[in-house]
Amino acid sequence: MNAIIKNLLISAFVLALIAPPAFSAEGSILIKNGTILTVTKGVMVKGDILVINGVIKQIGENIPAPEGIKVIDASGKYVIPGLIDSHTHIALAGTNEGSEAITPEADVGEVVNADDVSILTALSGGVTMVHTMHGSANPIGGPNVVLKMKWGKPSEELIVHEALRTLKFALGENVKQSSRTITVGGPPPRYPQTRMGTNAIIRREMLKARVYMEEWGRYNKLKASKTPPKNLLPPRKDLRMEVLSDLLRGKIVARCHDYQATEALEFMGLAKEFGFKVQALEHAWEAYKIADELAAAKVGISVFADSWAYKMEAAEGIAYDAGYCAKKGVLVSINSDSGERIRRLFNEAGKSMKYGGLTENEALSLITINPAIQLGVEKIVGSLEVGKQGDIAIFNEHPMSAYTRCEMTIIEGDIYFDRAEYLKDREEAYKKAQAPKKGGRP
Amino acid sequence: MSISKRSCLFGLVFLILAVSGPASADVGPTYAIKNAKIVPVTGPAIDKGVLIIRNGLIEAIGPVDKVTIPEDAEVIEAEGLIAYPGLISAHTNLLLEAPRAETSQGSPEFIAPAAAPQDRPSETPELCAFKLLKPTKAAIDSFLKIGVTTVLVAPNRGIIQGQSVLLNLNGEKAEPMVLKNPVALHINFTTARGTYPSSLMGTIAFLRQSFLDADYYATRQAQYNKVLKGMKRPEYDPFLEALVPYVKEKKPVIFQCNNLEDIKRALKIIDEFKLNALISHANEAWRDVAILKKRPIPLLVTLDFRPPSSSRYVNQGEDLRKKAEAEIYPANAANLTKEGIKFALTTFGLNDGSAVLKNIQAAIKAGLSKEDALKALTVQPAQFLGLVQQLGSLEPGKIANIILTKGELFDEKTQVDKVFVDGILWKF
Repeated sequence: MNAIIKNLLISAFVLALIAPPAFSAEGSILIKNGTILTVTKGVMVKGDILVINGVIKQIGENIPAPEGIKVIDASGKYVIPGLIDSHTHIALAGTNEGSEAITPEADVGEVVNADDVSILTALSGGVTMVHTMHGSANPIGGPNVVLKMKWGKPSEELIVHEALRTLKFALGENVKQSSRTITVGGPPPRYPQTRMGTNAIIRREMLKARVYMEEWGRYNKLKASKTPPKNLLPPRKDLRMEVLSDLLRGKIVARCHDYQATEALEFMGLAKEFGFKVQALEHAWEAYKIADELAAAKVGISVFADSWAYKMEAAEGIAYDAGYCAKKGVLVSINSDSGERIRRLFNEAGKSMKYGGLTENEALSLITINPAIQLGVEKIVGSLEVGKQGDIAIFNEHPMSAYTRCEMTIIEGDIYFDRAEYLKDREEAYKKAQAPKKGGRP
Repeated sequence: MSISKRSCLFGLVFLILAVSGPASADVGPTYAIKNAKIVPVTGPAIDKGVLIIRNGLIEAIGPVDKVTIPEDAEVIEAEGLIAYPGLISAHTNLLLEAPRAETSQGSPEFIAPAAAPQDRPSETPELCAFKLLKPTKAAIDSFLKIGVTTVLVAPNRGIIQGQSVLLNLNGEKAEPMVLKNPVALHINFTTARGTYPSSLMGTIAFLRQSFLDADYYATRQAQYNKVLKGMKRPEYDPFLEALVPYVKEKKPVIFQCNNLEDIKRALKIIDEFKLNALISHANEAWRDVAILKKRPIPLLVTLDFRPPSSSRYVNQGEDLRKKAEAEIYPANAANLTKEGIKFALTTFGLNDGSAVLKNIQAAIKAGLSKEDALKALTVQPAQFLGLVQQLGSLEPGKIANIILTKGELFDEKTQVDKVFVDGILWKF
């Protein structure tokens, strides 16, 4: 081989060895000198986190900055996993298909609205992921969707495909009282009008789904047989039944809105009877009454921190619900259920320290790793660990402090909310608006 | 075949044509438009030309010294005028009779909302816009005055709205106006009121289920027609019967997409059911041209620049909304041209000719070239509607939809001087 070429090849090889690891500027960031609350792996008082191409590469002290990477100084601040809201209804074009009681075909994943400003509100409170759900007007509502709060990105890029498929159920007054208003000449009130009716209609639909599955089972068997009958035609494909079949096959899990302990137990009975999985009960004001049953059945809860007794069916709700159940071994998350409360989800979680006596880390778990487990995404988010996605929030104080606020929110290594920048923009917009217009009013 | 034999055959064909004269028995007026500048759209402009119109069609076109004016022709001196093909609006709700009054409150004949999955809202895919036509001279004049001679009229109520008809605006009687009927099935991403589906996600599920059911229905019907004996006849269903040609035979379906998300939703359904589809409205197509580059689809882009209610320009105050309507949305067409995306322009949502003209001018001001605007209102819609043999340009043999303007088309001071529809000079 020509000596010059040989030398060139060797130098190219050496260059490749000493060159910095390839990474894109997008999705890569180094956060330095923060107090890192990993949630699952303890606390590091003065530590760095390196995110490369959207994934946490390294957590440690004095991580050298790769050339060209964005560096954030988090001295004196708290670096935590991006918060996860296990139950909300933001970023959707429509919440309820309330015309009928059973609508599992009405999938909120089809109507994601990436223009909803609530996404920005969520980011300003450190929230990076939400489980945005069908409303509670129907005993069987529809499939829900898990989104990342990538403000400014197209709707399809928000959807988290790794998450569990979940189906919204609802019990109690919301179901009973949907379309209850009776007008002269108007439609008759919608069935069901009672809690027993709600249970009955869900059972009815599950039985229908079983028959539907049997029908398709017979067809598939005949079709696969050596001598399929002449004129064999497939049964009608029913999107409503398809979703319920997936529930009965374990491909979708249930998330059920309930307030009272009795209806919760009845629903868990249905789940046992038909063999579907209840991933979590929503709101579950009276979960404390059945904490042992919930823990035994591995049914989680996703609840408010307070506002108990705000209506009759919540009368026996208590402030200790979340903390008590967590200590009993129930997987608990705190949710916002709102495009406003989502901005202060950390305050809500913090209340479980006063009511229920949870530790700081246990309280923080209610809005990080616990909802991640409920959504089936604990392998990719929910805590700060090497290999997980770089969804990170930076707070000025401990996130469970009453004086805390979110300074910066990062998703997969990209900054989506920067409080300082945001305030600067707002100040400029204000000045621009105040500037006298030519020929305009004073 | 030798060359001489072939030319011999051609000669024979020519002779037969010459002897037998026009194929049709009708004898319409013959016009010769003389000394006009002619813009045929598909070919180069002729500075001083002649257009011969006979029996509703363009017979000849060419420079003034090359075309002989027939003896029987009424000569129209057009010195200083420009001839263009009549404009086509490929989606309108014009000329439809007013919707029936809603049943009064308190009527004892209340129809209960759908309660079971197989129940459907009262959607009417079988409804033909042709049957709802109520042409009025005022409405027709308003569009002819700006040079629009051809309109697609679609029903405008509900989700699966029915089937459209393509019309030449040649009079006040419906039948002679029809160029094609039905043209397409029309779908709008809206909701039913007080009944299923009351939400957008419900609407999407309803559309999917309807297409699935149409396929299921067609399969059973086909099977029955094959065996006839020994199979119980499938129950007749007018709703599904109307959908079958669009789902199975791939006749065109037009999705009205009122915002960017609707475009994505439509594309998903179109691909899932392998529909032969067009996308209409689409005034937010500019927001994500990458999608349309990746998945080309005929676009019928409206000249209605009002931002959709979902737009972030609408939710942040009246000032921003007005700015969006005046500056951002008119640039839709210019943006699409820049990206090489094919589209036709329509007057959808605008029922007044003068508003249409104003908006064409706004689109041009926002960067659309006059040539591209003209193409998007002539040859492009003709192509999308499968009528490019008959419409969309000035060529011999095509339908004589011709406009004569004083000044260049779409200019502010330009006026449409004369309009020929189906070869007849329209009297305003």
